[in-house]
Amino acid sequence: MDEREDWHLTEALHHEQGRGDPFAAAVRATRMSMVITDPNLPDNPIVFANDAFQRLSGYDRSEIIGRNCRFMQGPHTDLDSIAQIREAVGKGTDISIDILNYRKDGTSFWNGLYLSPVRNDDGTIRFFFASQLDVTDRVDVQSRMAREKSRVEAEVTRRVAELRDSLDAQRLLLHEVDHRVKNNMTMIGSILRLQLREAADSDTAEMLRAMMTRIDALATVHRHLYQADDVTRFDIGSYAVNLASDLTQSRADCDIRIRADLGRAEVPAGQAAAIGLIVNEILTHMIRPENAEAGQVFDISSRTTPARVELSIGFGPAEMAVRGADPVYSPSGVNEQIISRLAAQTRTRVAWSRTDQGSIQVTVVIDKENS
Amino acid sequence: MNRPKAPLSILVVEDEFIIAMDIEMMIEDAGHQVLAVASSLQDVMALPADKAPDVALVDMQLARGSTGLQVNSAIQKQWPDTIVVFVTANPKKIPDDFDGAHGVIAKPFSSAGFVAALKYLEEGVCDPPPVSPEPGSFVASPSFAAQWGVSPEGR
Repeated sequence: MDEREDWHLTEALHHEQGRGDPFAAAVRATRMSMVITDPNLPDNPIVFANDAFQRLSGYDRSEIIGRNCRFMQGPHTDLDSIAQIREAVGKGTDISIDILNYRKDGTSFWNGLYLSPVRNDDGTIRFFFASQLDVTDRVDVQSRMAREKSRVEAEVTRRVAELRDSLDAQRLLLHEVDHRVKNNMTMIGSILRLQLREAADSDTAEMLRAMMTRIDALATVHRHLYQADDVTRFDIGSYAVNLASDLTQSRADCDIRIRADLGRAEVPAGQAAAIGLIVNEILTHMIRPENAEAGQVFDISSRTTPARVELSIGFGPAEMAVRGADPVYSPSGVNEQIISRLAAQTRTRVAWSRTDQGSIQVTVVIDKENS
Repeated sequence: MNRPKAPLSILVVEDEFIIAMDIEMMIEDAGHQVLAVASSLQDVMALPADKAPDVALVDMQLARGSTGLQVNSAIQKQWPDTIVVFVTANPKKIPDDFDGAHGVIAKPFSSAGFVAALKYLEEGVCDPPPVSPEPGSFVASPSFAAQWGVSPEGR
């Protein structure tokens, strides 16, 4: 670059500082790219561009001087950014903006442009001063982050939708299976009842009836299982009361009251059938015809302690009753076997005692560790 | 109001033959009469219009692609005084207001539960309010329970 020509161009700016002015020298030598345009000439052409601008743009000074800055724009330059710059020039205000510019070789870079008017003493705009900084790296990181963020967001949305769909499908399947199990249970009950009507002798009828009662208890378990929102838990307290009410109301010969004091008493759904059958054996044994006189009230209570789930079933005379014969509790045969074996299977303890009033008190205790 | 008297005339709408037969027999054991057994909406529509059942026990999923809800609407139109009780393994499919029906017996029902529900229903229909406590096997619709002055959640 010819040093003299350089000085000539600087002098052409009409600035008050003279030749050899250290400020002008600094502008020429700085690494910051700078241009000055003259809005008083047609199309606001560039009248000064320093070396840094030539390096940044790839154009020679001769290709720069006399042209409007728009030659830096290219196919992907944002039209809105151009409009903002044009507006600032029109209004004579300053502007700081990132704009996509193009070098002489056609490559693009993000230009962190700062543009401001230079006014003389009476306030008229003499020049526009513009500095350029290659901020491609910063803009790239920003836009990459924005792209990454929206990609991750889209992915999360997609997976959530997928999960929701699969959850819906599972819920539908559970519903369908539950519905079929219940229908089959109903059918089994119906078949047994139909068979029971055909029973020729009382022994057969008694056996079928005992079977029927157990199937009914299982049916009640299933009804309770999927009534709650949490299909993995089974409340033995409300089940026991439901079963007791079914058993007592179906019999014309017994008039037994039920008093319930139910705390939360949930066991895992996997244990529901076994524990449900145990409770059924206890209740049906209590309300045998032999106990018709002595048993007038069921006292059913349930609770959960940190270590155990407990169900207590009391059976005996009403408070005001004159004490007669005490109810008898002595399970035997299949009755006893179902209770003891299912208790062992579910690690449940079943114990009974007699109260001072002569009532039977049976407790069913399920340890939580194995639940 | 002209209340029905026992024995009640009961329409059974159930597409599973064995269950229908079982229900029929339990109804007769309880001293009531089975007016007819229908397995679909079409069957119900084909019944003589002049014989209104006192009670209809209606399954939810029926033959020929029909549903208990459709049967319920048809019955309410045809016989506005009939008490409709759903008998279903899918009680969650019943709308909150029961679509104007009166109650539900959940499947699988136990013999004891079904008989108790029938007894409670008889009391509620013939001589309301029922004197027995509401059995666990039967849930009255909110409006039906309100007629009896029973709170729906009372057990």
